[in-house]
Amino acid sequence: MAIRIDSAGASGSESNPLGRRRPLNGDVIFKLVAGAAAALTVTLIGLMLLDSVKAAWPAFERFGPDFVTGSRWSPSFTIYGALPFIYGTLLTSAIALLLAVPIALLVALLVTEFLPPRIAQPVAVAVDLLAAVPSVVWGLWGLLVLVPFMRPIERGIAAGPGQFISFLGPPTPGPSYLVAAVIVALMIVPIVAAVSREVFAATPRLQREAVLALGGTRWDVIRRVVLPIGRTGVMAAVLLGLGRAIGETIAVTMVIGNAPRIGPSIFSPGFTLASVIANEFNEATEPLHAEALVGLGVVLLAMAVIVNGAGVAVRRRFERSAERGR
Amino acid sequence: MAAEYPALLKPTSRGRRLKADLVVLLAVVATVVALIPLASVFLYIVGQGAGLLRPEFFLEDPPGDLSAAGGGIRNAIAGTLEMTALATLMAVPLGILIAIFDTEVGGRAATGTRFLIDVLAALPSIVVGIFVYSLVVVAQGHFSGFAGSVALAVIMLPLIVVSTEEMLRLIPKPITEGARALGLRRWRTYLSVFIPTALSGIFTGLLLAVSRAVGETAPLLFTALGNNFFTAELSEPMQGMPLLIYRNALNSAYPAARDRAMGAALVLILIVLAFNLLGRWLVARRKPGRGSGR
Repeated sequence: MAIRIDSAGASGSESNPLGRRRPLNGDVIFKLVAGAAAALTVTLIGLMLLDSVKAAWPAFERFGPDFVTGSRWSPSFTIYGALPFIYGTLLTSAIALLLAVPIALLVALLVTEFLPPRIAQPVAVAVDLLAAVPSVVWGLWGLLVLVPFMRPIERGIAAGPGQFISFLGPPTPGPSYLVAAVIVALMIVPIVAAVSREVFAATPRLQREAVLALGGTRWDVIRRVVLPIGRTGVMAAVLLGLGRAIGETIAVTMVIGNAPRIGPSIFSPGFTLASVIANEFNEATEPLHAEALVGLGVVLLAMAVIVNGAGVAVRRRFERSAERGR
Repeated sequence: MAAEYPALLKPTSRGRRLKADLVVLLAVVATVVALIPLASVFLYIVGQGAGLLRPEFFLEDPPGDLSAAGGGIRNAIAGTLEMTALATLMAVPLGILIAIFDTEVGGRAATGTRFLIDVLAALPSIVVGIFVYSLVVVAQGHFSGFAGSVALAVIMLPLIVVSTEEMLRLIPKPITEGARALGLRRWRTYLSVFIPTALSGIFTGLLLAVSRAVGETAPLLFTALGNNFFTAELSEPMQGMPLLIYRNALNSAYPAARDRAMGAALVLILIVLAFNLLGRWLVARRKPGRGSGR
């Protein structure tokens, strides 16, 4: 690290036209300071990562792969299997995507394709504001408004198709995977919509107009041009939304019901990786319990970084291809 | 934003026109569906909380017992302000320096830090809490407002780096060349030309980062922990507004706790919105054809 900075500092003095090199000029110090800031951050993040993995290690060592595949989590029996929480995280994220992606794409299309700019701008800002509401406020609203609102809907589904499909069946009322998923969906709609909006707006004007010139409708423009060209970009939007959904903590903790087992139905109470950490970490007096919870954090971290990394990579690829297309 | 098309040709078949209209209708319905919860959240919190915002709500501490009525949220407001301010003091200089490092030094080292900043931005906030717990709280031996500030700074840092980098990239080439022609050294160029030029953009990024940090609960759970009493001492456990809302909401069966949560949520939402909308307004104001100048 230090070597890089030094060499970079030396090459920076090329901007001095006389080529005279003072041993320690302002630029070298300047780059050293910037480099030190970067190095400090890198070191701190590295330390945090190492510390966390080290703190979780006893749990990993003791349970091995069972830590991830074990379906029983019982602090009183010192058995720690993370499967119920991994299941909860994946289930709520999947339902949330199912709900949020179509809505977000339609919102983005409305804003970029159909509304005149003067109306489109405020609509876009309003949807963005969904992301500005703090998680804990969504949780409060979810607990007191959404849970009661969803109760008759849940009962209806359980009494209808739920009779034949246990996944949609009882137990019904109250906090559940589904309520948590709805809240998460609300929180990721603005993310997916914002990225998709950029993607759709980047569609080359020429190709849009070609379709219109051939007598196509705006829907034809969307179907033949906007969506095919924006495919990778939309993919990135969905991945970034998924990354956010996986990590969502406080609102989920408040409405998911906090039950450390794999619920048979989407109406069962459950737990996600993030919410079990939030709920149990302060009460974890047993060392192994705390270690196992940090272990869940490491699992969560890995999932979030992989999904988000894929999202960022796909997004960059889209941006590059969009630039080339222009 | 929607481009305006000249009406070149009328779509031929009625069926296709109908389909296009149907899509518009669907898109409108979806947008309304997305905005109903937003309206509901605001109306609900304002409706429930507005009557509670008397002066003593801001000037008194809550009673030690969640179920007891009366008192205010002074400790939480003070804690949030103090922790957010300290987090800003940590994240802003560091963030700007990292952004300068990335644009100025470049190369593989910059790719590395950029990757790390991406990772940081992807961290679930609860994981940030665990990280800072294992680095700061364990080392200090106790929960503290300082640890809470560090956690909030970790949340803010990637947002500041990304917005600053974007601003530095947008600096027009003539300005760079002008500085070079004057024989300014790079550090002088940054200090007297680039940073002042990019300042409003950096400030906007800061506002959005603060609006995010102020509302975060999860990073504070195992760092600042919360405190029923007022403290300005950063070495002690400290209350934050999100923490207070969280704990009171979980006990919302008690009317007093529920009211406290509602009032605090309203105050928090107003703070977040103020920062957020101000930041957006600044972005929008400088966009149309004004270059990247101030």
